[in-house]
Amino acid sequence: MDVKPNFPMQFQQQLPQLQQSEPQAAATPSTSADQPAEAPPKQVAMAVDRLAQAARLIADVRIGADRLLEALFFAAQSHQSDKTLQFLLKEDASMRQHLQDLRTVGRQLEETGVLNDSMKSRGNSWGLHIPLVCPDGAVVAYAWKRQLAGQAGASAVDRTRLALKAFSDQKRRFFPHLDDESEDQSREPDSKKPCRPQAPLTSQLDELGDFKSLADVLARVEKEVPNVKVLMYERRDWLKRASSLPSSGNDKLIESSKEHSFHSLNKMRAGPQSAGASGRTSVIEISFPCNLRAVLSLHPAGSINPDAVAFFSPDEGGSYMHARGSSIYHVFRHITEHARIALQHFLGVRSETALYFLLNWICSYQTLFSKVCGKCGKLLSMDRKTSTILPPVRRSFRQFYPVRESPAETTSSTKDQVFEIPGAYHIGCYTDEL
Amino acid sequence: MPTKWVLHWHPNPGSTVNSQILNEVSQCAEAINGVKDGRWKATLTLLKPNLRDQSQPGEYPRELLGISLPEQPNKYYFILRGPRIVTEADSSIQVIMEKLQSYKSRIALYFEGYQYQLGDFQLRVGKVVSSHSENLRGIVLEVEYLPISSMEKASQVLGEFVDIWQEAVLKRSLPGSFMHNEPNLSEYGLGDNYTPQHTAVQYAYVMAQLFASQSTQAVRN
Repeated sequence: MDVKPNFPMQFQQQLPQLQQSEPQAAATPSTSADQPAEAPPKQVAMAVDRLAQAARLIADVRIGADRLLEALFFAAQSHQSDKTLQFLLKEDASMRQHLQDLRTVGRQLEETGVLNDSMKSRGNSWGLHIPLVCPDGAVVAYAWKRQLAGQAGASAVDRTRLALKAFSDQKRRFFPHLDDESEDQSREPDSKKPCRPQAPLTSQLDELGDFKSLADVLARVEKEVPNVKVLMYERRDWLKRASSLPSSGNDKLIESSKEHSFHSLNKMRAGPQSAGASGRTSVIEISFPCNLRAVLSLHPAGSINPDAVAFFSPDEGGSYMHARGSSIYHVFRHITEHARIALQHFLGVRSETALYFLLNWICSYQTLFSKVCGKCGKLLSMDRKTSTILPPVRRSFRQFYPVRESPAETTSSTKDQVFEIPGAYHIGCYTDEL
Repeated sequence: MPTKWVLHWHPNPGSTVNSQILNEVSQCAEAINGVKDGRWKATLTLLKPNLRDQSQPGEYPRELLGISLPEQPNKYYFILRGPRIVTEADSSIQVIMEKLQSYKSRIALYFEGYQYQLGDFQLRVGKVVSSHSENLRGIVLEVEYLPISSMEKASQVLGEFVDIWQEAVLKRSLPGSFMHNEPNLSEYGLGDNYTPQHTAVQYAYVMAQLFASQSTQAVRN
């Protein structure tokens, strides 16, 4: 444990002081009086600067506290009281200076409205916003960039929330035995567990038939849902197809990609529909031609275990279109986010039927642009969080079970509607109990 | 390509369009969280046949519309409203037209303004000025829904968006409103998949509405 002379520290502590005095000198002595005279970009830059200074000062304070503790420990061990005393005095002085500087910077930040919302009420011109430090410590520094980009930037709070969600999704997937009791309790502490009259009985699910092979599941889905196109691909073939899809409405490209997919389909289905043909399938494409395209991946290849899902516009094309990708359109990004939760839910209920349930659930999105929200009755609604107008992107999945068909119905209806149609909801209208 | 509706401002009887209304409309776009994205400009030219021999006016269509659109800078679109024909040509056709002198430009309308991004929607608010005078002839609004290119699938979405828009405009108590009368696109041989030709036909229709309303105004005055 060495006690280095404090010269580096003092040098360090002079630096922030110098840096602090510069903007002050540039801004002329009275800081608050001439704030309105500076252009908003300068104000924003200075506010960000000061926040950085404050962070540095806080770091200095922390280091200073460490050094004080070090000194005390040293004092307890050795008996060179004079040296220790000097050291302690120096540290004390430097700490006081740091804290004083911090107070000054804090006052400046308060005056410029960084720690509260006062700047907003002053009618900031140029559409720029002074960085805002939220009560939870998140710093919204570049609100103006958000405006220009036209998208809500995620604050640290949002990022943490997303990270937490991603981790808990992974946990649910890899350690399903760990999560059930504790999570249910934490999610619904006060409300009663909702009564689910249509909870699937294992026997009822068994009645649905053989789920063992992928080809069976897909054939069944195609039979039950009219208008849907379900295609299987090996992973490399899908990548080729995705890259060849037209990203604008160029008719020539549409023609060539149709031929390409025809050839690849032939490759896949060469041979008498045997299990071998679908044995290497790892990507399923579900498309409703004018509405949407969903890409599902299976792991391992040829199994009926869905791994990931993503939704895209029928006009999108490019190598970013895969089951873990993200659409360039808000509506499909939101659906993808919701579908990933639904996927985990179906896997959690019963993994053998997960693919079958998921495919049927995905098919319910064919009414995406026509079915109104079950809660507010409208098709479009402004989502507060992202400030975008969206159709009902959420479909309920917790009550999505096959219903028992009565013998009388099977003869009258031509369609084998095994599943009840799930309700459609806007993001703001959706609740987890649905 | 994304589906689009083109609406035009219809002033109340007895009132005219002015730049104050244009400002209010632009503020409306920002009020529903639209983010200004850039400028746009489209040009519509009314071409009349250059008849050397006045005795045979009947053979040629009396009016040919030429339109240039901002999203297709290398193309030029021609419309014959009578026989309901719309066609796409390379933008260099304008040079040929100049040389041929068969159809001369009588009047050109410029549609220009700002565009706004609103999530998956794109709004374009534009003033209409003619080549003959500086006065504001009208206001045009383009509403585009980016994710889908089927007219039929997008119609409900665009319809509801226009309702939301009309509500926002109504709050400002302006002397007029936006109108969308869908021209009969199938008569022009246009299908469900949206193309620039659809836009061109909508603009031709808007132009007709503008001239019609202004001639009734002139008659009234």
